[in-house]
Order: sequence, then C-alpha cells, then structure tokens
Amino acid sequence: MPTLVQALSAVETVNSVSLRYQYGPIFMTVGFALIIAGAVFALATFLGPKNPTPEKLLPYESGSPTTGAKHVRLSVKFYLTALLFVIFDIEAVFLYPWASLYQSLGWAGFVEMIAFLTMLTIGLVYCWKKGALEWET
Amino acid sequence: MGSIQLTHYLVLSAVLFSVGAVGFLVRRNSLVALMCIELMLNAVNLTLVAFNRWMPANPGGAVAHHGQVFAFFVIAVAAAEAAVGLAIVLSLYRVRKVVRTDDANLMKE
Amino acid sequence: MKDMLLYLLPIVILAVGGFSLMLVDAFQKEEGGLAIPTAMLHFASGAACLALWNYAGSPADLARAASAFNGWLAFDRTTLFLDLIIALGGGLASLLAGSYLNEHKLERGEFYTLITFASAGCMMLAGATDLIMVFIGLETMSLGVYAMTAFRRTNARSQEGALKYFLLGSFAAALLLYGSALLYGMTGHTDLAGIRAALAAPLDVPGLAAQEGGALALSVQQTVRDRVVILAMVLVIAGLAFKIGAVPFHMWVPDAYEGAPTPATAYMAVTVKAAAFGAMLRVLVGVFGDTTGAASLAGGWPGLLAWLAVASMVIGNLVALSQSSIKRMLAYSSIAHGGYILAAFVVTPRAELLPGGEGTVGQSAAASVLFYLLAYAVSNIGAFGALMLAGSRGKEAVSYDDVAGLGKRHPAVALALSFFILSLAGIPPMVGFFAKYNVIRSALEANYTWLAIALMVNSAIGVYYYLRVLVKMYMHDPAPGATRAEPMVSPGIWLTLIFTAVLVLVMGAMPQTFFGYALEAVKLAVAPVAAAATP
Repeated sequence: MPTLVQALSAVETVNSVSLRYQYGPIFMTVGFALIIAGAVFALATFLGPKNPTPEKLLPYESGSPTTGAKHVRLSVKFYLTALLFVIFDIEAVFLYPWASLYQSLGWAGFVEMIAFLTMLTIGLVYCWKKGALEWET
Repeated sequence: MGSIQLTHYLVLSAVLFSVGAVGFLVRRNSLVALMCIELMLNAVNLTLVAFNRWMPANPGGAVAHHGQVFAFFVIAVAAAEAAVGLAIVLSLYRVRKVVRTDDANLMKE
Repeated sequence: MKDMLLYLLPIVILAVGGFSLMLVDAFQKEEGGLAIPTAMLHFASGAACLALWNYAGSPADLARAASAFNGWLAFDRTTLFLDLIIALGGGLASLLAGSYLNEHKLERGEFYTLITFASAGCMMLAGATDLIMVFIGLETMSLGVYAMTAFRRTNARSQEGALKYFLLGSFAAALLLYGSALLYGMTGHTDLAGIRAALAAPLDVPGLAAQEGGALALSVQQTVRDRVVILAMVLVIAGLAFKIGAVPFHMWVPDAYEGAPTPATAYMAVTVKAAAFGAMLRVLVGVFGDTTGAASLAGGWPGLLAWLAVASMVIGNLVALSQSSIKRMLAYSSIAHGGYILAAFVVTPRAELLPGGEGTVGQSAAASVLFYLLAYAVSNIGAFGALMLAGSRGKEAVSYDDVAGLGKRHPAVALALSFFILSLAGIPPMVGFFAKYNVIRSALEANYTWLAIALMVNSAIGVYYYLRVLVKMYMHDPAPGATRAEPMVSPGIWLTLIFTAVLVLVMGAMPQTFFGYALEAVKLAVAPVAAAATP
C-alpha cells in the first residue's frame, strides 16, 4: 500500500540534489532579467537627452489624441463574453489528456470524447439561440 | 533537507489554503470572497498534484494518476463555479448596486 | 458498457432529458410548457429506479455492478432508494413550478433545465463511491440550485439569498476538497473502498522496521497519518454539513430558502438533503464505519455528529419560534429536521444484533435515516405547495398575518396547508410521526437516552410553532387594511397536493412496510452498514 510516509522516505534517500542546483537556472534567469532591465532604465535616465514638450508628456495611445476619463466603466456585455470564454476555454482542458492517450483509448475513448464535445456544442447552440453572443442588443 | 520535497509543497498549499480561508472570512467584498475561494481551490490542486508526484509506484510499476485527474476536474468545475458566482454578483448589482457582502443585508432581523 | 448504461439509467434519463429541454427551450418560439415534460422525465427516472430494484437483489448483482463501475459509483438499493426520493422531489417540484412561475410572471425555460441537471447531480452525489465523483455530483447539484435560488431576477432578496448560498456553499466545497486531497495523500486512493482498506491496515514502510530506531520512526509516522486523517475527516464532515444545513453551518439556509422562488425552496429542502445525507452515509459509514476495529482512529465522529444534531434541533427550533414569515419558519424547521436525521445517523456504526433478529442496530438506524428523508420529502413538498397555493401574484402568503382568517375565507386551501403542517409536526396518523418515532427508537436501541430525550423535547417545541399557523388560519381574523393572501387558481398544484397527501396517508398507514423497504435498501448496500459479524 503506497503511502505518504513511504513516499517521503523513498524521496529522502534518492533525492540528494541541492536546492541551489535544482533551481539555479531559474534564479540566474531572474537575476539577469533584473540586471539588464535595470541597466537599460538607468542608462536611459542618466545618459539620454531630455527636452520635453507637452505632446511628449501625453500618455501614448496608439498615436491618436487621448479621450475620456481614466476610469472607464466597462459594459456588462464584456462580463458575459468573458464568462462564456472562461467556461468553453477551460472545458477544453479534458482534450489534452485525451489527445495524448488517443491511441491507447481506442474507440471507446473516441466515442466518449464525441459525447463530451456534443454536450459542449449543445451549450454553445443554446447560448447562440438565446442571444448571448449578440453584441448589439 | 536542502532540496524541494513533498513537505514544502504541502506547507505552501496549507498556507495558501489558510490565506484563502481567512480572506474569505475577513474581507467583505463579494468579488474578493470569490477570489479567496479560487485561491483555496488552487491550494487543493497543488496538494493533489504534489501528492501524486510523490506517490510511489504500484507493485506493477505504474503510477496511478488519480491526483492529477482530480486536479483536472477541480479546475473545470471551478471555472463553472466562478461563472455562476460572477453571474449572481452581477445580478445582485443590477438590483441593488452593491457588491459588498455587508450591504447585502435586507434579510437581517 | 451495456451494463453500465443500464445501471445508470435514472441519471442518463435526466441528463439526456436535460439537454433535450435545453434545445427545446432554445428553439421554441414562446416560453413555457416545459413543466410537464420535466416532471415526466423525473417520474421516468423514478420508474427506472423501481424497475432496477430487482437488479440489485443479491450480493452477486452488486459485485457485477461494482466491476462495471470500477469503484466510481455504487449501484445498490440504498442508491435506488435515494434516487427515488430525488426523482419524486424533483418531479413534484417541477409540477408546482409550472403553476407558480406562470402566476408570478417568472416563466422561463431555464428553470426546468436547471432542475433536471440538479437532480442528475443529486443522484451522482447519492451514489458516489469515489471522492472525485462526490465532488462532481456535489457541484452539479449545487450550481443548479444556486441559479434556481437567484431565479427571481428583479427581487433583491432572491439575489442576496443566492449570493450567500453561493459563497458559503463554495467555501464548504473547498473545505470538502481539501479533506479529500488529504485523504488521497494519506492513502493513495480516491475510491472509498480503497481508502477504507488502506486505513484499516497498520502503516508499514518496507525495510524501515529493521533499521536502528525504525520502530520508533514508524510509530511517529503512524501518529502523523492518524492526525491528518482525522483533520481530513472533520473537513469532509464540515463540507457535507453545510449542504445539510446543520448548525453551525446553517447561516445560508433561512436567506436562501426565503429568497428562492417557492418551488425551488421545496426542491432544495428535499433533494439536496437526501443527496447530502446519502453521501455522508457512504463516506462516514463506508470509510470510517468500523469504529471499533483497526481503523478506530476516526471513531470520534458519532460523538461529533451527536453535538451537531442537538445544536441543529435546538437552534433551528428556538429561532423558528420567533419568525413572522412562514417560509422562514419552514427554513429553520428544516434545520431542526436535519438535526433529527443526524440523531439517527449517530447510531449507524453500531453492530449489535437487534433482539428481533432484523439486522443490526446500525442498519435499523440507517433505515430510519432513509425513511425520514422520504417522509420529509412528501410532507415538505406538500407544505410548500399548499403555501404557494394560498397566495397569488401580489397577494402572496408569506407571513403568519397573511394567512389570518384563511380558514373562513378559503377552507379547502387552509385544510391542505394544515394537513401537511401536521405531518411535519409529527402528529400520529401522518407519516411525519412515524419518521420521528423510528429515529427515537434507534437512539434508544443504542442507549443514547439523552439524545432521544432531546429529540422528544424538541419535537414538542416544534409542535408549538407549527400549530401557530393553524391557530392563525382558523382562530384569527385578518387585521383591517392588512394585505391578505388570495389563493391562486391552479389545478396543477391541487393535483400535486392530492398526490402527496395520498402518499403521506399511505405511508402513515403502513409505516412498517415502508420501513421494511428502507431496511432492505440498507442491507443490500455496497458499503455494508454495520453488518453483524456472521456467526
């Protein structure tokens, strides 16, 4: 009967690799990123020529003049679209393990996945017919 | 010690779970409460996959991936749950224009 | 595969039906007309349960089903009994909804899709024998019920009740999940039978005992495992107690019950309870049921549940006394009823043989749980149905004052409400009395005298506030100028009420027969409830 404690003791004996060794590359990457980004900012601040004009101090918005207040109230429509996106996006999570085991699952797996996708499709059709996908309403 | 082990993951996920639980009980904004619940669920996911990673192989040599499967289902269900929750929050906002749970007090007696 | 579809028939009918309802709702030109098909789906599912009853008639049948499901779901008579309660509750609630939603201008097809999927989720939860399945069933059920609670979209109370229910319910689900994850980590199993077997065996690490100091290390590890398992068990109990609405996890109950449209209230009072108690039976008795053997480390749960039971009864009843809204009173009384059922639950692990030779004390107690759930289902659906019938759009029957003088104005409606209220109160010819009687008998059989006394005292308190409804209806006149409830005209609700009334009377007339079915359901279960050691 495999248990936690067995696992712990097994790992303790096998895994003698140090923390520094395991995570060294990640720490190095983070360090390099900080140094390079900091250096670029520092160089630009200390060395770059500065002659500000009112136009240059404006927030950059794709080159067009900025309009409206900072805090825009987003339409509720965005929430609805986001909700639908989250659901349909996340349900696709089951496709990955199925795809990687496609060969060994055979026809049974295929039929089950088709059934699952049919259910999702019914959901999509339902949203569509109920007008949840209409933007201009 | 010195290397990352199961205990580290378990402690991390216990801390995350507690942060979520305490946040849920202390904060009064329903959107924050929703985020706290998501945090708790993610702590559970971390626990599950960590246990699964360190689960010794069966006598046959294969490792059962129940923990990973469980985590998949938690992720999928959590998304559905968040959708229903956000819809309820929005619906309450439409009626009452509040998102704070303190203000949802019509039925206090 | 073919076997599996057969065993899953009650759930498959509801699931396929739910998707069909969705498509019909999406493509039909006008709203409405889905109540009858939804009720038919539920009744078909219930009929499937009855038809399958004999397919679960012997241990060999159960073994065949178990191999088909591979430990995910239990196909046994306990499941079928609970599924039947769920199908009945769902079917009757959708019949009620057909009239209620029309009257209150809430008729939208979503309600019927939600109720159908929620019932399927309830059935999954009631039959789950794997922690993953418990979670999926629980959430399928809950998500449907949350949405049904929020169904009165322009009503702030409905939205508030739903928000509270959703937030606390999700919190509870997270607790349950963490408990499940810990159990998985400690045993390497998510199926309940595997967890039980792993916990029953003492911890063994190959080669460790032979090392120097190995015995000590092993005992330390054993202690750690036992502590974590107890924590996990407490988390799982808390998660399920939330769904039952047991004190101290009851805060959402009154708000959700009051805010929800009344058919949804009736539905969740009945089916969610049945499913959650079913899951509790499987998890607690199935995994930790052996409270004396090697797995006795978690043997403390009956004591814990006894406290939850007494707290639920006392607080539910005392707060119900001071309510001015009948719907809210019924919500608090449902907490108290949950307490009564928990009281029977405390006895389920006892393995002493009954004097009459009819199984063990524990089996009789588990049968009391099932019997109570069925009795509560029919009485409660009836009570909420009669309350719906007593009001109409703009003139709803909500508070005690609304129904004052109803006995003179509309004697038939008042009689219907009185009938079901009396059954809930536990007045003898009705089935509610026998449900309580069975629980008290179970408590006494296991020498929990104090629990039995607490139950009797609480039933007496309950009678007081139930009878207040009758007193208001028959002996008070409405205050001049106050709003009065005007009954709606609805043959559909009348039919439902007559059907439930017949069930209440028939079960009240033959309690032994129905208790016998419940006992049979318990004895032929995948995880045997406290079966006596065979001599």
